[in-house]
Amino acid sequence: MLTKIAGGDIIDPVNGRLGKGDLWISDDKIVAAPAGGAAERTIDAAGCIVMAGAIDIHSHIGGGNVNTARLLLPEQHAAHQARPATTPLSNAGWSTFQTGCLYARMGFTTVVEPAMSPGAALHTHLELADIPIIDKATLAILGNDDFLLSMIRDDASSQMIEDYVAWTVASTRALGVKVINAGAAAAFKENVRTFSLDDVVPSYGVSSRKIVKTLQAAVDSLGVPHPLHVHCNNLGSPGSADTAAATIAAAEGLPLHLAHLQFYGYGTEGKRRFSSAAARLAELVNATPEVTIDIGQVMFGQTVTVSSDVMRQFSARGSAQPKKSVIHDGDGNGGGIVPYSYGKDFYGTMQWAIGLELFLLIDDPWRVFFTTDHPNGAPFTVYPALFELLMTREARTEMIAGLSPSAMALSTLAAIDREYTFEEIAIMTRAAPARLLGLTDRGHLGAGATADIAVYRRDQNIAKMLGQAAYVFKDGDLVVQDGEITHYRWGKALRLNPSPDKAMLRRLEDYHQQRYGLSLDWFDFPDTAIAREQPFGEVACRT
Amino acid sequence: MAVAWIGNRETLVERAAAHAAALLGSSRCPVFSLDTDIHGTRAAIALAERVGAAYDHADGAAVSREAALFTDKGAMTVAPGEARRRADVVVVVGELPQIHHQFVGELSATVPDLSTPDLSARNQREIFLIGSNEMSAPRLSNGRIATILSCGEASLGATLAALRAQWRGRQTSRPVSNFDDFAKALEAAHFPVFLFSGDATEGLALEMLQGLVTDLNRKSRASGLHLSASENGWGSALASTWMTGFPLRTGFARGFPEFDPWRNDVARMIAAGEADLHLRISSSIVQPQKKRNRMALIALAKTHEPVAGAAVTIAIGEAGVDHQAVVYSSRTGSLRSVDARAASELPSAATVIRLVASHVSAEAALPC
Repeated sequence: MLTKIAGGDIIDPVNGRLGKGDLWISDDKIVAAPAGGAAERTIDAAGCIVMAGAIDIHSHIGGGNVNTARLLLPEQHAAHQARPATTPLSNAGWSTFQTGCLYARMGFTTVVEPAMSPGAALHTHLELADIPIIDKATLAILGNDDFLLSMIRDDASSQMIEDYVAWTVASTRALGVKVINAGAAAAFKENVRTFSLDDVVPSYGVSSRKIVKTLQAAVDSLGVPHPLHVHCNNLGSPGSADTAAATIAAAEGLPLHLAHLQFYGYGTEGKRRFSSAAARLAELVNATPEVTIDIGQVMFGQTVTVSSDVMRQFSARGSAQPKKSVIHDGDGNGGGIVPYSYGKDFYGTMQWAIGLELFLLIDDPWRVFFTTDHPNGAPFTVYPALFELLMTREARTEMIAGLSPSAMALSTLAAIDREYTFEEIAIMTRAAPARLLGLTDRGHLGAGATADIAVYRRDQNIAKMLGQAAYVFKDGDLVVQDGEITHYRWGKALRLNPSPDKAMLRRLEDYHQQRYGLSLDWFDFPDTAIAREQPFGEVACRT
Repeated sequence: MAVAWIGNRETLVERAAAHAAALLGSSRCPVFSLDTDIHGTRAAIALAERVGAAYDHADGAAVSREAALFTDKGAMTVAPGEARRRADVVVVVGELPQIHHQFVGELSATVPDLSTPDLSARNQREIFLIGSNEMSAPRLSNGRIATILSCGEASLGATLAALRAQWRGRQTSRPVSNFDDFAKALEAAHFPVFLFSGDATEGLALEMLQGLVTDLNRKSRASGLHLSASENGWGSALASTWMTGFPLRTGFARGFPEFDPWRNDVARMIAAGEADLHLRISSSIVQPQKKRNRMALIALAKTHEPVAGAAVTIAIGEAGVDHQAVVYSSRTGSLRSVDARAASELPSAATVIRLVASHVSAEAALPC
């Protein structure tokens, strides 16, 4: 079907298209305006802005730890905001179904679950397959697993390590690789309680830095489009800015992505020894072009922290609100679930301000990514309000008036004038994520792109405007109209598919037989296990 | 081979499904009890949403106790693979379901290979059993016998409380047998693991166990290995949690999911006469039920004949035997894909439930 989205303000930074015009869709692709072609369907986009569908690169939307968080907190589902009415499972709490609907209403069409335990890959993909409308992707976690740590300890060749990383990515159907507090989960099992970049994992004699550098090199060498996704050591600790700075320095010219930098933006100044180091980190990011970051913005209210950084979550158990938590020692990382409520006290205000400082002080929107680390900083449902804070200084000023003055006195936020433009929003939430993930078919509105399109009716109220899209197309299907779901469909999980090395397969089979008493097929699965047509979409590695 | 019956009369599966849908559509209070794989569960929950049913595991009490540990208290747990490779002290907490005895035997026959603990001269894990019922204990390798930790006839919860108190140096009215051996083993341990299940362990005992594990983690490491009372039951609990936000014992009576482990206890609803229609999904043979007034039964079961007293019976295959399936595995602590061991033409539970759902009128598409 040929569709024309007529007369909207098109914002497509990739193709340099900015201004009023028409956009044409043929079936599931964006096409050039057909010569003399008549549209079978015309969408009136006058008074609207038209952008590619948004891409979230870091949102914990499915998998073992996320599901455990649901299980832990049946009473907290109200915290996850309004439900679309009269839809299947419409009043469900924090469900897979609701996740897809809520993202689509905001114009998001692709979301990355950034922490998939390889051993729970099937579980994760089954959950993702039950998230309607949007496409999904996952990052496989490595860096605390015995197989990799043993290889590093034993000075295995870089080729062997690449073979293992390739097998993990292929067998788990991942789009990239993440390392979470490298080595710390393994050290925690041996009763180590704090762990920094140059600390060494007992029994392996391997430092956290060595693990990060090994994986960074393997990911780059394999041509995985997304750079190694790093959750640094010492998350949430006063002084963690030093760790983040050291990790940024460790990039050493190769691409590296640092996740939720806000949670490392903490200095040790002031009488509480907790201060903003955002300006320092922003300066470092600005000066290090091979580094990209996402923010992990904190917003106020109840949420639950879900992390495979089991050491950090164990230490945070005392701050659980309500007072219950789950700590799981997994085969690699495991994880911790600790509910938490961000209050407008000194600490909450400081965290909120640090995130916004990073957003506003990092110059290049191609290298800073829009996340709340859902649900760790806040549920993704706060995105419209966060857009407003980035795009209007006035909204920030109003918010600051109700927050801790002593925290704001230690922050530069009130003095920052910058307001994000729609073009910068389009870069940060569309063009840049697509480029970072290697998704050439989306993030832009050029001919041949997948017809993932979000149309927003202009409004002075930015949160209202970006919270309820006027129209959303996914693969050319009109799925949202006036902020309501109009059509349900099932997206795909985007994955890489590097060929596994046969010698590595044999080695892994032996390893699993000897160490776990199980054959490797206990940990693998066919695509048919997902029980959906075409559950996966393949993305090419760099050549 | 007949695969569907209305009453005792053979019929086409399509007709039986339509009749089942009509019964569900006219039911005032339908209830589902599940003993099925992940895709069977997903289909059943989607149908429950459509007809306003409450659903539970077929043997819901034990799974509910395990879910309550997480919904009410939280826990410290460890993956089974990690337990096999790291546990230098293994503590069996009460009675474990028979399906886990092989794994306990495996633990007793192997030694940990991670973190190189000192296993003393015996080069084997220390194994303890909390509780007094030695007869039901898993068999260990080489004729080994677990060291019993008990307080005479005291309940498991009371024994765990006494154990925890003694470990903290507090007085107890009655000492735990072999406590000194236990304390000595824990002092030397790198990573003790407590094996627990909700099968025969009450909720407060599970909480007390977690209290003990928490106490141990103040200065050293320890964790609990959840060996589910029912693998199908725990798998269904996980699928229910991602689909609705809630574990089993959730109901759609008011059009949206409500989690209430008392109100939606399907066995209770049947016994109390609240339910007027029971959809029972089980690949095992369904035993005839005591006839209850006004309550109709729809049985999806692996059967060659109509289930006694059922208004509708549809034959289904067994997950992992007649058809490929995804199931929860306590051996890996996650979901696993299993091939058909003896593939047959019997349809999966999911296939039949979706067929029934296709006959139920609805305004919107099924969510799965």
